[in-house]
Amino acid sequence: MIAHDFDYHAPRSLADALALLGQADAAVLGGGTWLVPNMTYGRQRPSAVVDIRRLGLDAIEIAGDIVVGAGVTYRQVLQSEALRAKLPLLAMMAGQVTGGPQIVGQATLGGSACYANPSSDVPACLVALDATLRLASRTGHREVKAADFYTGAFQTTRRPDEMLTHMVFAPPPGGAGCGYHKLKFSTGSWPIVTAACIAVAATDGGPRHRLAVGGANAVPVLLEIDGRDPDEAVAARLPSLISQEWSDEFAGAGYRRQVAPAIASRALRQARGAR
Amino acid sequence: MSRPSIDLALRLDHRDVVAHVDGRALLIEAIRDLGARSARIGCLTGDCGACTVLLDGQPVKSCLVLAAAADGREVVTLEGSASAIAETVRRAFIAKKGFQCGYCTSGMILVAIDLLEAFATPTEADIRSAISGNLCRCTGYDDIVSAIADAAEQLSAKAATRESPEIF
Repeated sequence: MIAHDFDYHAPRSLADALALLGQADAAVLGGGTWLVPNMTYGRQRPSAVVDIRRLGLDAIEIAGDIVVGAGVTYRQVLQSEALRAKLPLLAMMAGQVTGGPQIVGQATLGGSACYANPSSDVPACLVALDATLRLASRTGHREVKAADFYTGAFQTTRRPDEMLTHMVFAPPPGGAGCGYHKLKFSTGSWPIVTAACIAVAATDGGPRHRLAVGGANAVPVLLEIDGRDPDEAVAARLPSLISQEWSDEFAGAGYRRQVAPAIASRALRQARGAR
Repeated sequence: MSRPSIDLALRLDHRDVVAHVDGRALLIEAIRDLGARSARIGCLTGDCGACTVLLDGQPVKSCLVLAAAADGREVVTLEGSASAIAETVRRAFIAKKGFQCGYCTSGMILVAIDLLEAFATPTEADIRSAISGNLCRCTGYDDIVSAIADAAEQLSAKAATRESPEIF
């Protein structure tokens, strides 16, 4: 039983949902995998919960850009053949989420994006894919690039009265390869470090890599690397970009900074090979 | 002071149920109060899977669902799971001793049924992946995996018998 009183709303229109978010300290409920246990354990005590399940934010639309609703679950990502074909990186990531088939079917990409847990799989993936996040509030809509969205551990530029509605992706160029690799200590454990990479063939000087490393830092770390031997660049540049190293009970200070280049190199290699 | 309460109408194990529940209740708490005791309260963090039920046909950890969010939806617990696959999995858990204390068993059996409904011939890796969201604190995983593999074999054998032509 959740200890504190709160009002539960499942509005049928975005306008109603945004009006509710504009009042007091309302929380957005997606799959519930973060918010509900946080409320059970008293870590979050919102006075109102706004459930997005009736807002139609669980669609994947592919027409030029790829538009993924904030309420899309990992299972929906895995089940969408069109999305798997257009954004294989997103499917690779969804296929490696821990917590079993229940979590894969319950947790939403939008929820993970907004909670900004440094150890989550989604934030760095969004950064690697250069996703645009659509935020809506009573006072208007705005778009934020994933790389600008994350400001700290569990912190984003989303205001309390705003709701993430969609994540928009430009399809990677034809022939682009992708790789996703993560280090974790057991089947069900949180990732220690994740690396998501897109490799695009360039006309000269070898492929261009867009690499985002998650788990290692308070916010995802982005590296753009050109050339046929990117490992050296990763080893040289990545440790110093980890300016707010994340540490927890799974890996203490210094550990993530040390292993991050190796994990990043594996994603890079996979991205080059998968092309 | 009276707590805010809500009217909850759901289909629980194939029965329509209307209940007046505390607005702060989790789905696992509401359905247990309504008599569905096979689903267990474990960690309440979404880690252990003891509270697994099917919500609109999908396996969910019901400690992560507000009871209010289940209004108008269908919940099936192990008690309401009555297919031939369900019966075979249950018997296989007994035959292969797929439990010790039994606390995780309802959740384990439900994810096993969900797996076998989707894949008739799972590999051991498929089985281990299917139960990866369910913890057995007695650590009896090998017997659980063996029970699910045994159920899959029995179901495949039955299907083969049905499909073979009658020669007499």
